[in-house]
Amino acid sequence: MLFRSITIVKWIMSAKRDQGGIESRMPDKKVLIIGSGVAGLTTAIELAKFDVKVVLIEKEKTVGGYARQFTCKATDDCVKCGACIVEEKIDAAVSHPNITIYSGVCLTDIVKKDGFAISFVDRNHEKQACEVDAVVMATGFQPFDPIDKPFGYKRFDDVITNLDLEKRLRQDGVVKRPSDGSVPKKIAFIQCVGSRDSSLNHLWCSKVCCGSALRMARLIKFREKSMEISVFYIDVQSFGKDFQNNYDLIKDQVRMIRAIPGDVFLTDDRKIKLEYYLPALRKQTEELFDLVVLSVGITPNRNADPIAEKIGLKSTGSEFLDEQSMVSAPGVFAAGTATGPKSITESIADAGRVALDVLNYFQTQHN
Amino acid sequence: MTETDKMIDMNNLNRGCLRSWPHSQDYCITCGVCSSSCPVSGIDGFDPRKIVRMVSLGMQEEIVSSRWPWICTMCAKCENVCPMEVDIPGLIRKIRSLRDRDKVPGILHKGLDMAIQTGNNLGLPQEDFVFILQDVGEEIAQEPGFEDFVVPVDKIGANILTTIHNKLVNTHTDDLKHWWKIFFAAKEDWTVPSINWEGTNWGLFTGDDEKMRIMAGRVAENMERLQAKNLLWPE
Repeated sequence: MLFRSITIVKWIMSAKRDQGGIESRMPDKKVLIIGSGVAGLTTAIELAKFDVKVVLIEKEKTVGGYARQFTCKATDDCVKCGACIVEEKIDAAVSHPNITIYSGVCLTDIVKKDGFAISFVDRNHEKQACEVDAVVMATGFQPFDPIDKPFGYKRFDDVITNLDLEKRLRQDGVVKRPSDGSVPKKIAFIQCVGSRDSSLNHLWCSKVCCGSALRMARLIKFREKSMEISVFYIDVQSFGKDFQNNYDLIKDQVRMIRAIPGDVFLTDDRKIKLEYYLPALRKQTEELFDLVVLSVGITPNRNADPIAEKIGLKSTGSEFLDEQSMVSAPGVFAAGTATGPKSITESIADAGRVALDVLNYFQTQHN
Repeated sequence: MTETDKMIDMNNLNRGCLRSWPHSQDYCITCGVCSSSCPVSGIDGFDPRKIVRMVSLGMQEEIVSSRWPWICTMCAKCENVCPMEVDIPGLIRKIRSLRDRDKVPGILHKGLDMAIQTGNNLGLPQEDFVFILQDVGEEIAQEPGFEDFVVPVDKIGANILTTIHNKLVNTHTDDLKHWWKIFFAAKEDWTVPSINWEGTNWGLFTGDDEKMRIMAGRVAENMERLQAKNLLWPE
């Protein structure tokens, strides 16, 4: 999936250049990209190849978005999670002469004129202004905050999210209990936390959490054979043509339980007790775990709403940015998870497509 | 049925025949959090997730004849945790309502009939009821600090009218004392009606709308008759 999508982007770009469909150099064009996650970085790099000048702004101090915190999930072999690609993208963007990156930025205004007049405050608290010909919203997502769900997050130290686990695996290599630093013996994953939830108005599947959880489970098992891992799930959403292979490899190594647990307690000996209905035995079950990982969903980045509104973008009912509304907002584009849940590789492919859309837009203006 | 033992021909189900039921049953994503949260799931294999599914699949006959809907306590915890906001207690009540009344489990059926006839599930005569209340009241009055305690039966214009769960004048009379003592200590102006005092409403639990209405109406009548300002309806 990963290599295929990158290949497609390269192929489209090179084919267009060869055919003369798109001018190979557009040095008088300038694009603002908002957000330096994998989608923003990819769009920047692809546009820069055509000599388009890119201003890439990021509100955080570091570039790379959420994906840069993710861990490589390879065991004996690469499982194509895409985490490694992010660093390559960062290197490529930072070193590219056509890309100027500002991080730690606060965007103060964006006004549609012939192009767009942008003003922002940079990390040194200095005001900056520029004019650009197009804007790409690569504003990403917000991970669902499970604090209001009854799984004990922030109440019990050893209930963490999948993003917490990604970070821990990346930093420490092995997974440890936040409460006491010990290595857990039994881990539970709870899927679909904050996704597919009408009471939250989150009806979408976040698409990445099944793959992410199962790949992390496999990695943990690979490094610590005796680890007992249970995955509480609704149904395994297998996006991507290689997913079934990964699933087949992992599902015999973990216990798959087709029920979301109900009550979560902290026991006196500081374990996490889950109560759940065990379909196989048709009975209510209590079980102790050392660590519980909540697979939190991808939700819209509401921080981007004021910007989107200023440049004429609407949100869909789900509150992700609506791609349809870009039709009536010339020069405005959106890439990556700003328009809905995507994996790293899907975000890269989407960003490549958006870069092409931007080039086509410039071409049309030109003619 | 404790669990459907016979094979079900999935191709031959009348799917959608219960689609008009307004309980959002077709939105179920089978996450199972209802069954995991349920205090009685697993009893005879009871599984709320499967009940929702059976309704969605149109299995009316199987589900109405099943024991499962009668295991449910209607505590509504499932509905509270359901991510798709399926009204599972409403669904259960609907299923119960479809049973022939003489096939409603005995204690509920008899208790409700008795309540309709006599005003309470036990068939306790008014005179006996008042005697029990006064007897318990006298016991309280023997305790230090409660010497002036009396049970204000049928007092007009009280601030609170309270109903009585039938078990409190049957096997659990001591449980009356705790809150009566609180009323006394708080100098609350309260009363108990001498007729139609029943606090349970088994029309609710058996899915019998008409009888539920009658029972609720009697409580309203008591409120009007005694000109009470507030209703305390513990059940």
